[in-house]
Amino acid sequence: MSAIARLVYAYFTSTRLACVLSGGGILLFVVSLVVVFGMPQPEDMVVFASAGQLAFFLGSSNMPLMAGRLSQGLAARLLPQGRLKLLLSMMVTVALVALPVVLLTPFAVIAGTIKVGVAVDVARLAADPKLRSFVIDMTLVIYTSLCILAGWLYLAMWFVTSQRNSAGFSKALVIIVFLVLAPTQEINDPSSDAWTNLLQLGIAWIVFGTIFLAWPRLKNWRTRSWIPGLFPRAWAARSAGQEIDLMLGTHNPWMYIGALLVPVFLATRIGQFSPAVWLYMLTIFSAVNGAISGQAAERSRALWLRAGWSRSELFARVEASFTRHNSFVLGVLLVLMFGIGWYEGQPVAMLAAGLPLLILGTATSTYLGLMLTRGVRWPEALLALALMLTLMTLPLMLDARAPNVTAVVALEVILAIVAIVLRFVARSRWAAIDWTECRRPRDARLAPG
Amino acid sequence: MFVLKPQSGIPIYRQLLEQVRRMVASGQLAPGTELPSVRELAIQHAVNPMTVSKAYSLLEAEGLLERNRGRPMTVANRPKNAAQLSRRLQQVRPLLEQTVLAAKQLELSEADLLKAIREIWEE
Amino acid sequence: MADATVQGSHLSKSFGQRSVIDDLSFEVAPGEVIGLLGKNGAGKTTLLELMLGFTPPTSGTVNVFGHPSQRLPGAVKSRVGFVPQQDELLDQLTVADQLRVIESFYSHWDGELIERLCREWNVNTAARIKDLSVGERQKLSILLAFGQRPHLLVLDEPVASLDPLARRQFLEQLVEISADGERAVIFSSHIVSDIERLANRIWILKNGRLDWQGDLDSLKDSIVRLHIRGAAEAVAGVEVPGAISLRREAGFATAVVRDWNPEVLQSFQGAHAVNVEVESLGLEEIFLELHR
Repeated sequence: MSAIARLVYAYFTSTRLACVLSGGGILLFVVSLVVVFGMPQPEDMVVFASAGQLAFFLGSSNMPLMAGRLSQGLAARLLPQGRLKLLLSMMVTVALVALPVVLLTPFAVIAGTIKVGVAVDVARLAADPKLRSFVIDMTLVIYTSLCILAGWLYLAMWFVTSQRNSAGFSKALVIIVFLVLAPTQEINDPSSDAWTNLLQLGIAWIVFGTIFLAWPRLKNWRTRSWIPGLFPRAWAARSAGQEIDLMLGTHNPWMYIGALLVPVFLATRIGQFSPAVWLYMLTIFSAVNGAISGQAAERSRALWLRAGWSRSELFARVEASFTRHNSFVLGVLLVLMFGIGWYEGQPVAMLAAGLPLLILGTATSTYLGLMLTRGVRWPEALLALALMLTLMTLPLMLDARAPNVTAVVALEVILAIVAIVLRFVARSRWAAIDWTECRRPRDARLAPG
Repeated sequence: MFVLKPQSGIPIYRQLLEQVRRMVASGQLAPGTELPSVRELAIQHAVNPMTVSKAYSLLEAEGLLERNRGRPMTVANRPKNAAQLSRRLQQVRPLLEQTVLAAKQLELSEADLLKAIREIWEE
Repeated sequence: MADATVQGSHLSKSFGQRSVIDDLSFEVAPGEVIGLLGKNGAGKTTLLELMLGFTPPTSGTVNVFGHPSQRLPGAVKSRVGFVPQQDELLDQLTVADQLRVIESFYSHWDGELIERLCREWNVNTAARIKDLSVGERQKLSILLAFGQRPHLLVLDEPVASLDPLARRQFLEQLVEISADGERAVIFSSHIVSDIERLANRIWILKNGRLDWQGDLDSLKDSIVRLHIRGAAEAVAGVEVPGAISLRREAGFATAVVRDWNPEVLQSFQGAHAVNVEVESLGLEEIFLELHR
């Protein structure tokens, strides 16, 4: 039992930043709850409390990586009941991270009634059975939904942080797409209640838990004779002379494209979406596509040692390699956009705005990734966040009844300028790149696709 | 007290055996002297304790060492007698063999060698 | 033996068509320190992984404390310590946090020992693991295995990145651990001098089989180098039974012999009219000769 507690504590306090986020988040949350009765605008409390909840969640964002590393290790297989305790610690974390909302819901309801002007008699409110059951129901629904969401987000983070190559990103993409699809489904068909959610949670955890606990045994089956034959390692380097691409991980865009097509295909099966949602999804894909350039810096060290290039020449070649890889994917995305657009009869304006949007999505994220020569620090993280938000807002702006074309065009122009600036910054950083500041190359051991 | 060379071709326990024998025979280890415990010696030289205890057990079987309950091994009290002589000669025999072999390789005669030995003895 | 710590019987392991371990049988008793030697790729890591149940054998069995290695119960696992070749530390944590996380899994953790070793080995408990050097990471990996005072300690190249001082400290601690004679240690290393100090049994793994499995002392007595001198014709005609290698020049020959019996020395010298000098070899030399 103490192992599980200690693990959960470690997830929330792994780094100094994590401590700040977790502790600060909780503090912010609690303070905002306490202060609600003194606030003129009680709904502000909800904003602060939600920010606190988000910070608390981010504080535990190292959990997938840590739990994953522990479960993959050989020594971890010797820890008494190691896998079981790890699994339980993950479940506890998910349950814990969504817990603040349990407190938030009744307070939000009270804040709502305060706003409406009803007399604040909390005791009487609490005694009202109808109000009580309403609050309890809503709390349960929100809590279970949040648990589901948190679980999927952790899984997506696991794929991104543990593999950090195109395969990892693809897998994370599949999950993100589902996360995007599921709420839109809900909006079309709002039938979720606590029990459906609990059922969903239960099934998800049982499946995950079984695979997790049985993973060693499953892995052992793979080493037996016939199964490897089913999964030939044929995807490995076939192109001759493209050593640069091999070392950077960009030698095989088709694998990535294949992984892309799966969620798109599923989405077409599942339902009708507005053109904007399609564009939104494709934009996310294009942004993530560029993000694999984030590893370029540390992977290029070996390249630089072996070839007679200066750092600037190295940058030029790395840029060329990623451009080649990304243009394949971008091409497919554009075909998809036009194909779906033609099939669904979308307005020309949408397509006209979508073309540069997808290109810009890839370009900005590629150069942002190339800029990461000193690990991910605050400026880069904030920039990435801002870029992502902008890219995501644009399709939604286009979805309005009378879209503000000027605003859209203006934003796209700004994005183009940003891409150029980022390229400039990336190039100048690479001219003076210091490889000891990149992440340790030993992490690359976890990588090759 | 002892010099142990783990990388030698001679097993460590035997090195210890020979050194203790030599030191007892020469009187360097007087009867009643306490030897370091197995654990102390093992840690000091960073060698396997079982090696040390093997050597100690063999020495005890030979009668050179005595085990005392709760205390480390001590050198046994043994009177010097003629049997000791052959044992002491056994100690120098390997050295003598090497010397003789070298002499033969250098094509020295037996008389030359004995003369040289006498000179050294009288120094 | 009734209470063997580890027991393997006709153990084999293949990966697809490639056979890595071939029909191994062995026993490890408490109090033994076993040095596992072998070329790179000889199967040392695979053997250790088989012993600890990380991978199932293709055929044969291996038991730890009487239980099949694939199905070790929690109580048995808490008596086993393992130091892997590649460390499995969590980069984000501090050293102290990592120690506490692993400690929480065991009911009998020797905190004082770990504290003392951290001091003696110069391990900064407040440092972040991602800032540690490779040697410090290895020291921490070793500490994590020592903490629960295991009855079976398995180490896979534990000192490859340690400087000589750190290695000597580690050896001294290992000596302390094995001093009570109740714990078994199996360690594979390329640093033959360490094994020579510490092991009392040697396993030499060659081409998937145990080429030698026995006491270190007997190994040193068994494999010797003979320097044979005499008249040219006599030397030319010498045949050395059981020789692993034989090199002849005029009037001089060198042979490395396996299963040497000192009693045959006299008769051998007499029969061939030669002079033989017997040289005993250190472990590294023995290893090299066996792999020529």
